[in-house]
Amino acid sequence: MRTLILDVVGILATAGSLFIVSSGLTLVFGAMRLINVAHGSFYMLGAFVMTTVAANSAGARFWVAVAAATVVVAVLSVVVEVSVMRRIYASDHLTHLLATFAVSLIVADLALRVWGSGGRSVREPSVATGAVSLGGATFPAYDLVLIAAAFAVGLGLWLLLTRTPFGWRIRAAVDDPELLSCTGTRLSLLRTGVFMLGAALAAFAGALVSPQVTVAPGMDTAIIVSAFIVAVIGGLGSIPGAALGALIIGVAETLGASYAPSWSSSFMYLAMIAVLVMLPSGLLGRAER
Amino acid sequence: MNQPVRTTLQKHSERLVPFVGRGPVDVHRRPRQVALRVGGVVALLVLLLVAGQVLDIARLLTLEEALALAAFAMASNLLIGYGGLVSFGQAAFFGIGSYTVALGWLHWQLSFWLALVIAPLIGGAVAGIIGLLALRSRRLYFALLTLAFSQLCYVLAQERYTFTQGANGVIGPMLPDSLIDPRHAYLFVLAVAAAAALVLWKITTSPFGLVLRATRENRERMQALGVNVFGHQLLAFVISGAFCSLAGVLFVVYSQSAYPELLDWTQSGYAVYMVVIGGMFTFLGPALGAGVYTFANQYLAQHTSDWQLILGLILLVIVLFRPDGLAGLLSPRPWRSAARRLQARFGQQEDSTTDTTDPDRTTGELP
Amino acid sequence: MTALLRATGLTRRFGGFTAVDHVDMEVQEGGIHAVIGPNGAGKTTLFRLLTGLVRPTEGRIVFAGSEIGGSRPHKIARRGLAQSFQLTAIFPRLSVLESVQAAIIARQRHTRDVLHWTGRSTTAEAGAILDRVGLGAASGQLANTLSHGDQRALDLALALAGRPRLLLLDEPTAGMSILETRQTIDLIVDLVRTDGLTVLFSEHDMDMVFGISETITVLHQGRVIADGPAATVRADDDVMAIYLGNAVRERN
Repeated sequence: MRTLILDVVGILATAGSLFIVSSGLTLVFGAMRLINVAHGSFYMLGAFVMTTVAANSAGARFWVAVAAATVVVAVLSVVVEVSVMRRIYASDHLTHLLATFAVSLIVADLALRVWGSGGRSVREPSVATGAVSLGGATFPAYDLVLIAAAFAVGLGLWLLLTRTPFGWRIRAAVDDPELLSCTGTRLSLLRTGVFMLGAALAAFAGALVSPQVTVAPGMDTAIIVSAFIVAVIGGLGSIPGAALGALIIGVAETLGASYAPSWSSSFMYLAMIAVLVMLPSGLLGRAER
Repeated sequence: MNQPVRTTLQKHSERLVPFVGRGPVDVHRRPRQVALRVGGVVALLVLLLVAGQVLDIARLLTLEEALALAAFAMASNLLIGYGGLVSFGQAAFFGIGSYTVALGWLHWQLSFWLALVIAPLIGGAVAGIIGLLALRSRRLYFALLTLAFSQLCYVLAQERYTFTQGANGVIGPMLPDSLIDPRHAYLFVLAVAAAAALVLWKITTSPFGLVLRATRENRERMQALGVNVFGHQLLAFVISGAFCSLAGVLFVVYSQSAYPELLDWTQSGYAVYMVVIGGMFTFLGPALGAGVYTFANQYLAQHTSDWQLILGLILLVIVLFRPDGLAGLLSPRPWRSAARRLQARFGQQEDSTTDTTDPDRTTGELP
Repeated sequence: MTALLRATGLTRRFGGFTAVDHVDMEVQEGGIHAVIGPNGAGKTTLFRLLTGLVRPTEGRIVFAGSEIGGSRPHKIARRGLAQSFQLTAIFPRLSVLESVQAAIIARQRHTRDVLHWTGRSTTAEAGAILDRVGLGAASGQLANTLSHGDQRALDLALALAGRPRLLLLDEPTAGMSILETRQTIDLIVDLVRTDGLTVLFSEHDMDMVFGISETITVLHQGRVIADGPAATVRADDDVMAIYLGNAVRERN
């Protein structure tokens, strides 16, 4: 029982932060067919801004910093979208990969300039400090914050996509952008909005995980691989898929770390290979023509 | 029957560039052009030989690294440029080459010369297995599957500590005595890289190479003409993997070590980087890209901390404005057409609000 | 004459939609056979079934004495069944000559040959084929710089490079100018008369259909509603009513 609770909490916390990052990646792909390698950069920037604003304060400032990180990165992403992405939407995947890879190199360099190469840390907020005991199991209280945030993001995205005009337009853009622009939607504004939302989700995830990791350069290239794997396993473009993928990777990582620690990193890649070889468009993805 | 969607990169490659051959045998090539090209290659080789005698050791080592990476980039371009198969996992084969030498030396006192022969065989065999699974997917999913396989190799190299010495990598006197002298080592790397380039060039100009390009252009048509496309692309994957491994062996001559980062996806990313900035539609373009990348990297790392910024900007400019790469600059009318292209691009920008991108079209195919 | 191709009970369903519905037909060796029918009658699906690009749901296809239903496209092509495509399927960034060379290499099954140069064994033959379709002067051009009519001609050249016994042409003159149409018709007739090729084609141009074909199969909603010599089909009241409509009746 004790280990079961520990495993479940561990899986949900890992899956939660992965889901928040991947949902942004998969949302942008779903709406615009854009592969964004710079998504990891937004995640890293979110974490860096968090370290600056939170400044090791455990009080309310922590939450202000999360909001600030999300907003600052969202604004930066608009600059990237307008200056680079708009020129390449009509291009092929390779162009997308390369242009966003270039953006990620540039962002990595600028981040290094601003924040240096050393690792930084953030204290957990006072409400979620220390450990929680449940049924004999003891786990970090902050895990519950991550789990709650993931559920909130999932619910929020579902409401946004199914209950608001913005969401309807995004879903219409997936099916037929030409028709959508005929109905009077400014497609370029919609794209900027979706790109910004994706980046904000990445930054939000980066800010949220900052108390549990060392914030340092290299976070970007590490997370982007995990985020892609989660999104691809679930099916690129599918947000429920991203949740499923995050859960699978959460299980693989958490159980791997407990029972086969020296092999744990391999499971994630093996899971992706297994899924793609059997289901070439992922678990919930639409077949790509 | 869908006509393949022409992508931006493809559109810009229509003026193929007379930079030492575009790969295919061109029967319309005039004798003078042939002489020019052969002369150019010979001059390049002589220049590289002379450089081996006159350069100081630090620069010589950089050039040696560039040659190893050039072999890596050209081998990768067999897939990327000729095959239209954008793999983000070529680093796996590069790293396998390096680790064959290093682990052979560490565990079995394997001779370097034997490793030089075995490495491409192992690389080709592993490529056969990976290709068998990865080539079932197309385009983006192919790129991501190859990435996953190479990350798997990376993780194995990092975590099988007792076998690979983990993140520290294998460092030690793994080179034979005759390659200890840097100038000898340089000549050796030059000779093997040049031989590899020659063989790759032969492959790209063979019937196999033509069919590979034709398959890139129109896969279904090639099937309808009786070609087993899967088998053909698998063979290209194996050949590319074998040559990437050979390049990995050359890299050991330069680095005298093997470490997990050689297998990381960013290393594969840099292979694509070199191919693209050099020019994926020319045979020697990727080698040029490797040279620019290595020297920019070395020079920038010495003089500025912002080398990533500059590499990123170069890539961005190339992707946005000169998709035929630096080799494209050597074409007869580069600047005029570049100016026109800039104009066209910004002309389009003005009405970008009405820019409608059919998602199916953009998912067309990787070039 | 013997049947080079025979389809029996050939059916293809896409979900609930039956694109090709129990089609029985025979193509005689050395003849020109037309498949006609309104848009959506199932002509293109029928052709894709015959070339293996679509697998049949039911039914058999026998080509030159062997069952080919469900075989992979390249296996079928190697037996001598070549197709020219409705939406021109060329190699955009290969030169015209290279395109035909690639097709010849495919026929020779030298696709895995890495030891020889491309030009050696294929240039002369490729040149001859290009002359045949009227592209001799364009051999150095990139395929995507050709006019639409020339791209169709190149497409045909690619099919011919396979030295097929049966050539499938899906609307060979669609989008062509009057002159190009004339030339294409002459070429098709010449290929059958001189080279002994068998041609199966689909077409909307009724002048062309009745001008050159010996046998006609009429498809409507995936089914064969008439099949036989051109004169018989022309006189068939059902065909007149359902498909040919007033245009032919008026001319008569």
